[in-house]
Amino acid sequence: MNEQELTPHFEELKRVLKDKVDDEKIMGELKKYVNEFHITPQAAIRGILRKFGALEESPFRSSSSLIKKIGELNGTEASVDMLVRAIYVEKKDITVKGSPKTIISGLIGDETGTASFTVWEGKDAEMEKGSVYWFRSAYSKMWNEKIQINIGARGSVEKADGMRVDVPDRSISMESSEAKIGQIAGGMGNVTVTGRIISAEERNVTVKGEPKTVYSGIIADDTGKIQYSAWNDFGLKEGETVRIKNAYIRSWKGIPQLNMGDRCEVSRVDDTFGNDIADTVTTKKIGDIVRTGGGLDINVVGTVVDMRRGSGLIERCPECNRSIINGECQAHGRVEPVMDLRMKLTLDDGTGAVSAIINRELTESLTGVTLGMAEGLAKARGSMEPVERELAKTMLIRRLSLTGNVMSDDYGPMMIVRAAEVVKEDVTAEAEKLLSEVEASL
Amino acid sequence: MNARETAWRLFAGELNSSSASVRGDEEMSPTYVVTRLGAMVNRVMVAGVLTEKENIGSEDEPLWRGRIQDVGGSFFINVGKFQPEAASAIAELEVPAFVAVVGKVKTYTADDGRVFVSVRPETIVQVQEDVRRQWILSAARSLWDRLIRMKKAIAANSTSEKDLAAAGFSPDEAKGIDLALNRYGMPDSSPYVKTIQDALRMLLPGSVIDFGFPEDVGSSPDEIEIDPEQSAADRQDMEDTILRIITELDTDGRGAPRDEVERRAEAEGISAAELEEISDILMDNGMVYEPDLKRLKRIDY
Repeated sequence: MNEQELTPHFEELKRVLKDKVDDEKIMGELKKYVNEFHITPQAAIRGILRKFGALEESPFRSSSSLIKKIGELNGTEASVDMLVRAIYVEKKDITVKGSPKTIISGLIGDETGTASFTVWEGKDAEMEKGSVYWFRSAYSKMWNEKIQINIGARGSVEKADGMRVDVPDRSISMESSEAKIGQIAGGMGNVTVTGRIISAEERNVTVKGEPKTVYSGIIADDTGKIQYSAWNDFGLKEGETVRIKNAYIRSWKGIPQLNMGDRCEVSRVDDTFGNDIADTVTTKKIGDIVRTGGGLDINVVGTVVDMRRGSGLIERCPECNRSIINGECQAHGRVEPVMDLRMKLTLDDGTGAVSAIINRELTESLTGVTLGMAEGLAKARGSMEPVERELAKTMLIRRLSLTGNVMSDDYGPMMIVRAAEVVKEDVTAEAEKLLSEVEASL
Repeated sequence: MNARETAWRLFAGELNSSSASVRGDEEMSPTYVVTRLGAMVNRVMVAGVLTEKENIGSEDEPLWRGRIQDVGGSFFINVGKFQPEAASAIAELEVPAFVAVVGKVKTYTADDGRVFVSVRPETIVQVQEDVRRQWILSAARSLWDRLIRMKKAIAANSTSEKDLAAAGFSPDEAKGIDLALNRYGMPDSSPYVKTIQDALRMLLPGSVIDFGFPEDVGSSPDEIEIDPEQSAADRQDMEDTILRIITELDTDGRGAPRDEVERRAEAEGISAAELEEISDILMDNGMVYEPDLKRLKRIDY
């Protein structure tokens, strides 16, 4: 068929696809279907509409798979297809249950909004900022009242050539708001912070085969500290105080990070913070951490309400330091285990609960049970379980002050504890305070 | 998200006068008891005096009941064989004793429609008196904060969840207050303020504390009797929960990883021992099977 004969069919396709696909592309597809593959124009139209996701009925798809816009997601979809534009893309190597893994994460958008995403099997996938993709069989989750889109082993990301997705500007570039570092939480978008550079480093990395430099470090104000990173050299030096405008917040495992992109502006300002902000520790209510994710150098005070399994005497692989069971390492096979002591506690302050991983040194000083004693006890009883019970006996219902970095996942926040102490509250003084508060308002 | 439920510090009076319960919005949400002051409680931490204990089960299958006195009221606790550590701990305790308990709250509806609240301990330990004093302080502080918030909410133009959230209440506070006002109406603050008075009198023995209440305000709830059959209903609850968890965690159609089921079950107050027993029952009943040793999968009909 020549172009003139194809025109009515082209018009029909264009009516449906005009906002998504270039005219040229539509005509090209139509010619290919009809002239190269010799199928009827009606079948070609169906095929092309399906290819671009514009066919409503889906006889080939399982009933659970459907196409949705970001704005239509409710956080419980188990399998959904979506046509999106990549706004921000980052490939990362992480460790999941001890094994290395490459993931791709970032921000995607469509006409209805934006959402963060993670491609969990990202080793062979490539994504580029600005390109349009089909996310196939994605699943969605709700985190901090925001939608997150995931591509697991069952899903895939396909480049959608010739497709166009318009992301409204307002959802990408929000007004930059002044923020105190201690108040920064995941999902805040653009912020402006003023703080002192506590550390600064350059790292050379390879991105898609090209060498690049990442500038990263830690910046602090009088309320807290946060990690920053930038692809551009803003010339940040340890000890100087700067105002960073138009940085945006992204969370990694619940820890907010300050990303300095192309629109970011840095100016040097006078330091008003005094001497000791490098030691800034942010004391938080656990309920606030549960709501907003984690952070660096956070302090919480609460009661130990649970000692979780995996506490007590454990075996570690001498090669990789993983915790192992019965001398069998999942990476190194049969090994001569190294014994270690640790606790996994749940600390609760009445506003929320955080799980806390406490290393050997801190476990020994909190409980008075040393690794040697624990090994002796386990040997005498022929089992490692009595050690866990012994530790639980000394720790349960104890009031602790814990400091460390807090990450979050689906099971809530988790602190890697770097300082821990048993604390006593001055009950009489606090009771008097409450008394005067009550009396004043009666 | 499936973060572990907060252990509320609240007095028995507030907990026991609750009759409303609600399930959270999200699919995996557990059940909460809603108090008249809008606390949404799934788990509590209690420190007080264990004044009574009784094993109404058998030696092999114990079912312990106990009563823990706080300032003016009592918590009723139930410990069965599914909480082996708590059961052996309570067996060894001599009454009276200062104890601290972390546990899940459960409601029971009597034949006449009255609702009773009890606590199923996950942990019960003997403590020193200072732990009790600290607990009384936190419970009093938390009660006072709730009273103030309730007062503020009532003073607002609208007490709908949405309007309260917009007025600066946290999502949970807004939801709890909205539910409480709908179910119970406006609360009478006097028994609560009296509880705070009694708590402060206990903490500050040297001071004269008088908020001007007649001494007989406030009442402690009736004794509750819980049938041993109740544990069957409990188990049904747990079966439903486990099935829900398995379905939810089976994201790739290959079954739900056992270790994750375990973590989530733990977050909902189901111990490893309970999980094992329940999953055996579910397998016997043909509800689930094991595609391999590390996974559980629901059988669809």
